[in-house]
Amino acid sequence: IELKFHYTVHTSLDVVEEKVSAVGKVIVDQRELYLGLLYPTEDYKVYGYVTNSKVKFVIVVDSSNTSLRDNEIRSMFRKLHNSFTDVMCNPFYNPGDPIQSKVFDSMVSSMMVQTC
Amino acid sequence: MAQCVQSVQEFIQDSFVPMVAVLCSEDADRVTRKNNLNFSELLRPFCRLTSEGHLRDPSNQIQVVKNLKICVSNIVTEPPQQVVTRRLLSEVVSASQPAESSVANVITAGDYDLNISATTPWFETYRETFLQSMPASDHEFLNHCLACMLVATSHENAPVEQFQKLSQEQHRIQHGSECTYPKWFIPNTLKYYVLLHDMGEGEEQRAESIYEDMKQRYGTQGCYLLKINSRTSVQSSNEQIPDPWSQYLHKSNFQNQVYDATNYTLSSVLSLIDAPCKTCNDHPLRLDQTSAHMDGIDALRAPVSDGKKVPSASSTHGACLTLNDHDRIRQFIQEFTFRGLLPHIEKNIRQLNDQLVSRKGLSRSLFSATKKWFGGGKVPEKSISELKNTSGLLYPPEAPELQIRKMADLCFLVQHYDLAYSCYHTAKKDFLNDQAMLYAAGALEMAAVSAFLQPGAPRPYPAHYMDTAIQTYRDVCKNMVLAERCALLSAEILKSQAKYSEAATLLIKMTSEDSDLRSALLLEQAAHCFINTRSPMVRKFAFHMILAGHRFSKAGQKRHALRCYCQAMQVYRGKGWSLAEDHINFIIGRQSFTLRQPENAVSAFRHILLNDSKQAASQQGAFLREYLYVYKNVSQASAEASLPQLPLPCIQSSATRVFFGHDRRLAEGEKQAASHVSLDQEYDRELSQQWRELEEQVVAIVNRGVLPVTFQPTQYCLNSQTDNMRFPLAVVEEPIIVEVVFRNPLKVSLVLTDLSLLWKFALKEFTLPHGSEASEIVSNEKDDLITTEVISEFCMNPEETKVARLKLLPHQTGELHIRGVVYNLGAAPSPGDDGTKILCSSGSVFSDGMFVRGRQDLEIQGPRLNSTKEEKTSVRHGPDRRLDPIITPPMPLLEVFFINFPTALLCGEIRKAYVEFANVSKVPLTGLRVVSKRPEFFTFGSHTSALTPLSPGASENCSAYKTVVTGSSSSSSSAVATTLVSPLDFGAGGNGSQPGVVDIPLPDSVLQPGASIQLPMWLRGPDREGVHEINFLFYYESTEKTSKMSHRVLRHTAIICASRSLSVRATACRSNTLPERSMERDGSMLVFVDVENINTNEAGVREFHIVQVSSCSKQWRLHSCINPVGDKDSKLTSRERGKLCFRAIKCRNQEGRLFYIQCSAVYTFADINLGNEQIISSTTPCADFFFRRCQTTELKKGFTTGGVSFGQSGSLSDSEGDIASVVRKCSEVDLNIVVLWKAYVVEDNKQLILEGQLHVALQTIGKEACSLSQKEEAQEMVLLKFRPELPPPLVRPSTEQLSHLIKTNLHYPESYDHPFPQKSLCMVPVTLTLSNCSMVDVDVVIDLRHKATSPETLEIHGSFTWLGQTQYKLPLKAQEVHKLQLTACFIHAGVYNLGTHRVFAKIANQDSTCEASQQSSMPALIVVNSI
Repeated sequence: IELKFHYTVHTSLDVVEEKVSAVGKVIVDQRELYLGLLYPTEDYKVYGYVTNSKVKFVIVVDSSNTSLRDNEIRSMFRKLHNSFTDVMCNPFYNPGDPIQSKVFDSMVSSMMVQTC
Repeated sequence: MAQCVQSVQEFIQDSFVPMVAVLCSEDADRVTRKNNLNFSELLRPFCRLTSEGHLRDPSNQIQVVKNLKICVSNIVTEPPQQVVTRRLLSEVVSASQPAESSVANVITAGDYDLNISATTPWFETYRETFLQSMPASDHEFLNHCLACMLVATSHENAPVEQFQKLSQEQHRIQHGSECTYPKWFIPNTLKYYVLLHDMGEGEEQRAESIYEDMKQRYGTQGCYLLKINSRTSVQSSNEQIPDPWSQYLHKSNFQNQVYDATNYTLSSVLSLIDAPCKTCNDHPLRLDQTSAHMDGIDALRAPVSDGKKVPSASSTHGACLTLNDHDRIRQFIQEFTFRGLLPHIEKNIRQLNDQLVSRKGLSRSLFSATKKWFGGGKVPEKSISELKNTSGLLYPPEAPELQIRKMADLCFLVQHYDLAYSCYHTAKKDFLNDQAMLYAAGALEMAAVSAFLQPGAPRPYPAHYMDTAIQTYRDVCKNMVLAERCALLSAEILKSQAKYSEAATLLIKMTSEDSDLRSALLLEQAAHCFINTRSPMVRKFAFHMILAGHRFSKAGQKRHALRCYCQAMQVYRGKGWSLAEDHINFIIGRQSFTLRQPENAVSAFRHILLNDSKQAASQQGAFLREYLYVYKNVSQASAEASLPQLPLPCIQSSATRVFFGHDRRLAEGEKQAASHVSLDQEYDRELSQQWRELEEQVVAIVNRGVLPVTFQPTQYCLNSQTDNMRFPLAVVEEPIIVEVVFRNPLKVSLVLTDLSLLWKFALKEFTLPHGSEASEIVSNEKDDLITTEVISEFCMNPEETKVARLKLLPHQTGELHIRGVVYNLGAAPSPGDDGTKILCSSGSVFSDGMFVRGRQDLEIQGPRLNSTKEEKTSVRHGPDRRLDPIITPPMPLLEVFFINFPTALLCGEIRKAYVEFANVSKVPLTGLRVVSKRPEFFTFGSHTSALTPLSPGASENCSAYKTVVTGSSSSSSSAVATTLVSPLDFGAGGNGSQPGVVDIPLPDSVLQPGASIQLPMWLRGPDREGVHEINFLFYYESTEKTSKMSHRVLRHTAIICASRSLSVRATACRSNTLPERSMERDGSMLVFVDVENINTNEAGVREFHIVQVSSCSKQWRLHSCINPVGDKDSKLTSRERGKLCFRAIKCRNQEGRLFYIQCSAVYTFADINLGNEQIISSTTPCADFFFRRCQTTELKKGFTTGGVSFGQSGSLSDSEGDIASVVRKCSEVDLNIVVLWKAYVVEDNKQLILEGQLHVALQTIGKEACSLSQKEEAQEMVLLKFRPELPPPLVRPSTEQLSHLIKTNLHYPESYDHPFPQKSLCMVPVTLTLSNCSMVDVDVVIDLRHKATSPETLEIHGSFTWLGQTQYKLPLKAQEVHKLQLTACFIHAGVYNLGTHRVFAKIANQDSTCEASQQSSMPALIVVNSI
């Protein structure tokens, strides 16, 4: 299953790139970070989010899950972004290393629990 | 979609071509068979027309037909089977593989560089074959036969009749009820009569005449005379003719095979059923079956096998055809098309057009009328029609809607796309009105295509037409074949318009479960579309490639699957998508294995295992098993030439350690082996530096003070931090242990069996002068040279890092290179099942098949070089020769054992231990030495055996000292034994020798092989408390010198815990008493020894007894004990303090001369024993340690004074320096006190007596010296100053120092009776003794004038007067004693202080400034009594 997610997320990066380049042309300044639904597959819905520094977040949601609207996803991304920023602000963190922050971890897993 | 060879227009045109059927007579077939071809095959290469044709459309416009292709094929009566088509397609695809050297274009997208095959020929062939093998359906006419060629030969008896027969046959096929296939375009098919003439067989006239006859019968437009086979086989050999058939027939060969095979099975099955078979088989229509219509099976087989063989006989096509013949065939086709086919089509179009136009008004109104009138009745019909949609037949063949469609198709075939489009459009409307979905979809499809193909493209390509068509085909009609065709066309068109993502979506939509091959191909094309978009979507490409690969593998197209995965791999590799990467690698491995590319498979699997995978344990286990399986197969397949590299477990090669030497016995009973070096020790840079210094020290001494240039510190254990630039040396018959660090990166356990080292060895004789050069290079499996130890089993738990120690034992000298390790790798059985059982019996493991043998090389990168500029700027690594030892000739091997070696000592405690030296090699050993940083810690006794007490046999608890019982316990202190000893006897004080290096006295100085010797050794507890690590380095040599290894060393680290015992403070002061005896007159001192018990361990140590106090000095000796307490054994319990007082006098030799010559090298030992035993301090343990201590302190002092004098030398004038030194000397004593004690210790309910000695060095009078030297560090700190030192403060000797120059004494009667009443003046003679303590002349001024210090004293004591001269000035020579007679005069009785005189001294020849008043003597009281 993990393998499948890997493929899904990896492929979604193309869509993200496409969307980013499309958006970039229109308005450069006030770009909306949330990209919305990238693409639906049979089993999942893939949502994307790109920070200003071009860090991409992808959330994959079960297709059958109807409780999550666009707005919920958006707030999830915002939360994710905030805690990611916190991790990056850690002076002991080297960019590029795997994230080992416990706070980040618990935040993500709490988000998971919340949605499931 | 990848690039195609054809353009879109070409592709579409070629997809829809006029079909022409061929019907041959038997004889005609025979004629063409001469060329291994049948008639249609013969024509095939020439079916494309090179010239333009012309055509008039219904409105009489001339339409140009360019580049027309026609399709000539034999009449096949059955529609192609679904199964057959599938097989055909899959074979076509698998046959078309990318060539090895195929052009790959590199696409750079973002940070990806992808290597993608530019073309996908397999897809094109698939498409072509697919379109060709499309069954003709009723809703369209594009692949219906438009004409039929009837072929007969001129050699037949009655060609005309034959033609008639063929014509009838054709008619029967088309209009007969029993045959529904092939479909015919128009009821009256164009029949074209072809007379075949074999030039080699019949005469031409006959053919011509028959042709003439035919012309008359069928018209010039409808017949043709084709002359072929003009070449005889004789002349064929030397002429080279291009073979245009090969490229066509190669493909059709497959087709034939498939067809043949199915026909065979089909007919055999049918013949069993018998009844319906007749109708099928009785048709003599299939050319390769002409002879088969009598009895089925056997005859059917023959052509099949023929057909198979013929193409394989290679390039025999058209053997009887000359180039002329080729031209003739080409001309024939042209003639047929322009004269026959095109006019026929033109006619039909016109005809259909007329029909439509005439019917239009009628039909329209009629239809609408009927609709209106029978509106109610139409509804059920509609439902029926929808039902019929699926079966595909709604309209009768003559329905007007179909006529439109027919006309449109005709127009399309002759490239009249304008007309075709409008017709299709109309048809589409009609069909849609009638809800005839299949028909509508077909019309939509073709409308879209023709709209696209219209020259100048007046209207945009209606993509939605296509979409609707595909959807209809797929969903409504459930006809995937048509949907696929439609999708292929549409995708191709979209691609040509650069709408790649649309094309991709289209293609992806077409993938479905029913056909893996199609899905795979389409997915691959979709992937190619993604990569071709304006911003290449690399990841989508990769993903779809993987999907395609998956489908390919499901479809059995392994090669294609592998290719897809490999291409996708380029995207995923090294990007951290480890799961995906592992997955791909795994698939690649599997596929390559099944495709017999085991090397690739192994490397792919290796890749999975090498990386730190995040897979679950079970998955890893599966990977591992698969890898082992594949690997095993590979290794079985390939010869045993070289063992392949294994990926697991990881070797941390830089952590490899190499150890030379045996495993040592550490302890044996009470014997304790020298700790030496072992693999268990951690490397400590500081420590190794210390050892190195020690070794340098001893080697320097052995080589007379110089370190040889070739000196190389001995390294027994090499690791990443040692200097590995040189080849290490190993000795024959001594093991080499290599410690390899393995790491298991997996979450499954691994088992290595038969683990051993892999090496290469070059035999070399080092004893010969220039030795036989490296004779041959031998590697493993030769046990007579080197014994390789094998670890039979080595288990590694998941994610464990484990160390394996592998041993080699060389038996010959030479150069060894350790290359790597070799082992069997196996997966441990999963913990669930009974693992231990399997592990125990390795046999079963092997039978398990899960073990593979392989190797891993040990490659160690040397340290980075950083010395020259070049090396600094670039990254260069030095060599690392850890694993390349040189095996040298045998060397002696020493083992050292310590017996009774203590671990804890009191400070200053003396303990005797034994050392056993054993030579365990086969070579005698010599030159044994020991070096240590702490030479004061131990001694082996002196050279002169007289001074070394014989070692008592039993190592019982007896004293380490040599003692003499002195009889009475109350022996007077005056009985002082004195001995003279030269320090040289104790191996100390020699000029060349450095402290710390001690020769070990061996008998004959050689230790024979196998011999061992025990020597006594005395230890003295360090003076400072705490844990001390004391390093010993034993040095020894072989008796024969070898060039490679000059010496060997053995290390030992002793750890001693020292606890506090006594602290001794001593002060010396000048005694002012008048020397009583002449002997002691010249100088005596009082020595106060303050002993304190500072032991803190109250439970253990009960009390200390001071047994003896000895002195040793060059000038002084203790003379007697003047302890007020008496000669009691002085006991000190905890925290007690005792004071001892001694008198010391200057030494004299036998002649009575004073010893004051500094360079005298003889020390005087004097013992004052307080107990009943005298310890002879001048013998081994005591004197040894004394001298050792002296050396070390001198060494330290040497440093400090050296430093100071350097600073002084410039600024000081000589004279002043003189004074200073003179003055200093005067007060110097240089007396060493040795306090010998016994301690009563309770340990384990036993009382032990420990002995020890403490040293105090008295240097200056009045200055306290302590056994614990505290200020040493502080002094050494001075050395660290780098600034030029300030002129030292003692430029001139301090007054305090100067005041010691002269010693004064007053001699007078203590009480003097004087009858005052008689004589009022009392005169008392007083002698003033002045002695010069210094070594220079001193001028002394004595002033007797009264100078009371305070008025009070005057009043109390009254005063007296000196009579006579009150001031004397006299020079005193060095050491001179001068007596001065004085007279004191008293006038009253009373007590007086005579010590009022003042003495000033100055060194002779100096100005008066340095005149100093001498120490005022103590109050000298005199009692004057009046009688």
